[in-house]
Amino acid sequence: MTDLAVALLAAFAVWTGWRVFRVDSMVRASFSLMLSFVAVGGIGVLLSAPYIGVATVFMMAVEMMVMAIFMVMFMMNPAGLNPMMMVHQHRLSIGAGLVAFIGLGAAVLLSPLPRDPVPEEAQVVAQLGHELLGPSMLIFETAGVTLLATMVGAVILSSRQGRYGAADEGARPPGLTEGGEPAGRRPEGGGGHGHHHHGGH
Amino acid sequence: MTLLLALAVLGTLLAGTLFAAVLDRTALPLVAAFGRQRVETEAPDRMNRDLAPAWYLALAAVGLSVVPFAPGLALIDSPVGIVIWGACEALTVVTVFLHGWSPNAPFPLIGAYRYAAIGLPVMLPSMFVLIAAALPAESLSLVAIVESQREIWNVVRQPLGLPLFLVVALALTLRGPMDYADAADIASGTSAEDSGPARAAWQVARLAMLVSVSAIAATVFLGGPLGPVLPGPVWLWLKTAVLMALIVWLGDRVARTTPSRMLGILWVVLLPLSFLDLVISGVLAL
Repeated sequence: MTDLAVALLAAFAVWTGWRVFRVDSMVRASFSLMLSFVAVGGIGVLLSAPYIGVATVFMMAVEMMVMAIFMVMFMMNPAGLNPMMMVHQHRLSIGAGLVAFIGLGAAVLLSPLPRDPVPEEAQVVAQLGHELLGPSMLIFETAGVTLLATMVGAVILSSRQGRYGAADEGARPPGLTEGGEPAGRRPEGGGGHGHHHHGGH
Repeated sequence: MTLLLALAVLGTLLAGTLFAAVLDRTALPLVAAFGRQRVETEAPDRMNRDLAPAWYLALAAVGLSVVPFAPGLALIDSPVGIVIWGACEALTVVTVFLHGWSPNAPFPLIGAYRYAAIGLPVMLPSMFVLIAAALPAESLSLVAIVESQREIWNVVRQPLGLPLFLVVALALTLRGPMDYADAADIASGTSAEDSGPARAAWQVARLAMLVSVSAIAATVFLGGPLGPVLPGPVWLWLKTAVLMALIVWLGDRVARTTPSRMLGILWVVLLPLSFLDLVISGVLAL
């Protein structure tokens, strides 16, 4: 029964993971990836790792929400509903995908996996806590500090205030067609064309 | 026993939603909505538009199913019950975002982004006050958190916890000062293009979430089913009903500020307060 559930969840995780690259919008891609991770979290719960499983669902819901916002923000596709191509750099990505697949597959096949079921009375959540704040403290804290630095970097990148004034000062959105009129509102005092255009708004 | 607990969860959700509709005085408009025609927008994301109310309702049901109805008895008696509730909270933000994003229309989209911007920082105080409540229990299980309140309720031991969690509750139920998704200032936001049964379903799910978040607050801060004379479930229902009324009253009474100012309040005032709550409960637990 558990085996069947794990197999179904794994198939769902692979299918939604594949959908990430087939859908035509950043928002759909983000939440397809979230569904994939939710299925992986379900597998974690079935494999007697309740904290890791549920925390995966919880973290991925927050992370994919943040990712959807940031990707739409940087992609100049405000609604995230405009069709767009989700794949690029084909050769590099195929190569990276193959290397990752072979590496992870080899790790699964070559490492000795435990065969005994987890005993009913094992305190798995407490054991995980002792491991994370004991022998694995260095890895745990390194990951934590790296993520914090990434978050601070992302906030600085997206902040309007900068060392040299407002980030959008004098910025022009890209054209709707190649070399065409910029999309959206013109910045204040943005050249001769801009002034003529203001009457229209 | 499992069947009985499943019935208790479903019954509580149903009766609680009716009670919430009475508190909100929305019972008649809800019934009337079923008779209305459906509004179609241009090029919507049909799947998410149709499923968003169902997800919202499902998250409310999952959230309620980790609540112990009597000491030691919960439908989902997980060692990480409080993390399951946290996952429901985070997925609620995703659901409200998708509800506003999927119609492909301006007001719902504005509501969706406003809610995501407010909802994400609301998650942080929520996690800290819930972890603070788990500290004296030395467990993430809601059953253990109830047991840890036999001597003294968490609302007394950690006075900052419940007020901060009420802010989270207002945000999760799209209500009053924290309603940045469906507010009147953007023509009811993510629901602006909803009409007919879809609108009614979204409102019902929103009321059901009020039941779940109140039941969780009653469990974590007011001792849940603990109490003299009356049986456990009755105490839980009474405490949940009182919190529901309090949340509805707060939603009606407290004014909403601009999203930018609310972001400042969330990051600069409420988040440090939740750290303080965690420090207080950590020092007490030592």
